[in-house]
Amino acid sequence: MGRAFLTGILAAIVAAGSTFADSPSVTAVLSNSETVVGETVELQIKVTGPGDAQPPEEISVDGLEIHATGQSRQFEIHNFATSSSVTYNYTILPLRAGRFTIPSQTVRAGGKLLRTPELILNVADAPGRSSSARPSRGTQSQSVSAGDLLFAELIVPKKVAYVGEIVPVQIRMGFDPRVRPRLIEPPEITGQGFTAQKLQQSGQSSETINGRPYDVVTYKTAIAAARAGKFEIGPVKAKAQVIVPRRRSAPRSRSPFGFDLDDPFSDPFFSNPFAQMGERREVEIKSEPVALEIKPLPPNAPPSFSGAIGNFVMTTDAQPKSVQVGDPITLTSAISGRGNFDRVNAPVVEDERGWHKYPPSSKFKQDDEVGISGTKTFETVLSPNEKKQSVPVLALSYFDPAKEQYVTLRSEPIAITVQGGAAATQNVTASQSASPSPAIAVAPQRTQKPQDILYQLTDRPATAESFAPLYTRTVFWTAQLIPLLALIGFAGWKIRQTRIDNREARRIAALQHETSELMHKLRRNAASPREYYAEASRVVRLKTALASGSSRIDPNVVDAETAADTFKLNTDSRDQLRRLFEQSDEWQYSGAHNGPATISPENRREVLELIENLK
Amino acid sequence: MKIRASLIAFLFCALATPSVLAQADAEFAKATQEYAQGHFKEAISGYEALIRSGQWSANVFYDLGNAYFRTGDLGRAILNYERALALERHHPEATANLQIARDEARALEIQPSWPERYLQFTSVNQYSIAAATAFWLAIFAVVTLIFSRRRSVTVIAMLICCLLVFAVAVCAIYTLDRGSKGRAVAIVTGENVQARLATADTANAVLALPPGSEIKILSTRGDWIYAALPNNLRGWIPAKNAEQVRL
Repeated sequence: MGRAFLTGILAAIVAAGSTFADSPSVTAVLSNSETVVGETVELQIKVTGPGDAQPPEEISVDGLEIHATGQSRQFEIHNFATSSSVTYNYTILPLRAGRFTIPSQTVRAGGKLLRTPELILNVADAPGRSSSARPSRGTQSQSVSAGDLLFAELIVPKKVAYVGEIVPVQIRMGFDPRVRPRLIEPPEITGQGFTAQKLQQSGQSSETINGRPYDVVTYKTAIAAARAGKFEIGPVKAKAQVIVPRRRSAPRSRSPFGFDLDDPFSDPFFSNPFAQMGERREVEIKSEPVALEIKPLPPNAPPSFSGAIGNFVMTTDAQPKSVQVGDPITLTSAISGRGNFDRVNAPVVEDERGWHKYPPSSKFKQDDEVGISGTKTFETVLSPNEKKQSVPVLALSYFDPAKEQYVTLRSEPIAITVQGGAAATQNVTASQSASPSPAIAVAPQRTQKPQDILYQLTDRPATAESFAPLYTRTVFWTAQLIPLLALIGFAGWKIRQTRIDNREARRIAALQHETSELMHKLRRNAASPREYYAEASRVVRLKTALASGSSRIDPNVVDAETAADTFKLNTDSRDQLRRLFEQSDEWQYSGAHNGPATISPENRREVLELIENLK
Repeated sequence: MKIRASLIAFLFCALATPSVLAQADAEFAKATQEYAQGHFKEAISGYEALIRSGQWSANVFYDLGNAYFRTGDLGRAILNYERALALERHHPEATANLQIARDEARALEIQPSWPERYLQFTSVNQYSIAAATAFWLAIFAVVTLIFSRRRSVTVIAMLICCLLVFAVAVCAIYTLDRGSKGRAVAIVTGENVQARLATADTANAVLALPPGSEIKILSTRGDWIYAALPNNLRGWIPAKNAEQVRL
């Protein structure tokens, strides 16, 4: 039951989280925007939001062979907000060289039609790998210290880049699985004049090269050149421990054992390692360096250029859209694409006149392992000094290495409503825009006369006030003594009252008990007249005392008149009662009675009726 | 001997208090006169002397705020208007002048949370009184229930009501005391103050804080304070550039 309840709560929280999750969105990235003919590139379309997305079934681009290779789903719960995303993978095989545009794709998700950005893929004609150390590539292929047991290769897809441009780099390290390698120093790209990002292991696979199996580990990183010129990237160096057969004292001959001396794989050690002990040896793995030419950026960069190089798109939004003069408006600009995001600064406000601008904040969400592709979101707070119809245009400049020119992105004007304050008159704007004087154009004119503050107060209270909250002051806690004392008094009074009530209850119980006992005796009919009348009058007294209630009459002082008054008896009953008391007194005090020595049953019945009717 | 000493002390206090009050009144009148004559710096000195001597009142802080406003020190003007309002929530002149100063300085404000907005209809002191009253009534109700033979529905209902009022009042005190107008609130008094990511002048800026902006001090490290900032940001600012509202 409890578990079901907890599950229900969890489901409700998750459902609530899902309710508040973001609306569906889609991104598309290429694993590499530069490749060569025959070298595959991966395309990922990531749909964040509802899980009912319908990805494009077929993407057709002339010159590219694109196949869907599968999908993966990610599910995250963060601060009770859930988000899920599905990544659809496609493999692109370039069939010819050129610059290809993968058009925007339509994805239906959550009842909405979303569109992916256009992607550019540059395919080179030359054999793509700048450096290869793979065993299959013959003489130039490798410089491996342990022969064909392992290799390293550095893949740089570009041969020419610009200063600051991010160039993705891939490092592949292959090991013969039989040498059971253990990497003791991760690969490192040596060289000067460039900065490299942290290496990220992106995958591991088994490949057969020249008929030999290899475990291939792939690392990805990105480099950016700090200056122009010709550089040598690499070589990549790493150290690993591998198991190799023990050296023999005598050189092996070919014929007696039937294996090739030049091929370490032909050693019987590899076919049965337990038959002969191997030794663990440390080896250095080294690739060939790669030449890279770095060109300087062209001159005459736009004013809003901050060093961003790549290919970007910008979307902007403003919230809220209806404000008072002076109220803040948050301008959110999302820069998506591929490039050096660390140099992407907040878009500049083209015309700040009539606005007060605060420093922006930023966050970056990367779409790949090395942070070349992603979305950087800036939030800039602006407050209007006057009435405005739209937020100012934001501009972002970057250098597009594919086009080899600077590109400036400008946001669309977003309509807003600004209330209060004086409107920026058309004349002022017109005169500012038409005026040749830069001073007039730059200096914003105040349209509001500053309000003056109110008068000085000349009276001052006699007692000083305090900032301390009341509950921290001594007087507050001292004042609590009053209700505390009242509580003590109240509790004491209640205790006393209870005790009194208990005493009275005990007295009443005793009187009732005695009455009951005497009534039993009177009904038994065995008593002498003296005892009978004494007990009957006693019962009357007890009943009177019980009936007296709060006046608490002592039964010993009750006489016939008191009893008759208490029970409000009529004249006959009153006379009967008087006679009963008289007879009781006579029997009690005279020692003898004028009447008979026994009581007749009629008398007994009369007395019993009289007593029982006393209510 | 002790009685005599106590008597002497009491007499001294009884005689000294009126003279202290008279002196404070004279200082206040002098500072007000300086202000009227346009000697704002002298007026500021007079009001601050009064405040240093512990003669705090909403009107003194309000007048000091006005004097700072006239000298162009909008940060300190806002600080003193805030102090006046901290002492007297419904001080109409301080409220009006605070708005003018804020508009002039483009000061940023910390937005109160939604519970705070609802609970702000009365002050912490009034919540304290409500909590104490509800607490004692609840105790009296419990004592009544313990000693009475029959469980009275009225008393039980009163007990539940009192406990609810007590709980709400305590929550309100906690929320308001730590809220956007609580005891940790400070005002930026320096010019060109930047909140930074770390305790260094070279650290990246988080937010530019115009004078008079509200911050909430979270912790102090040396000459730096770590504060909650407007727009739900957090950052470090030099301690000399901000003053707490509540003295």
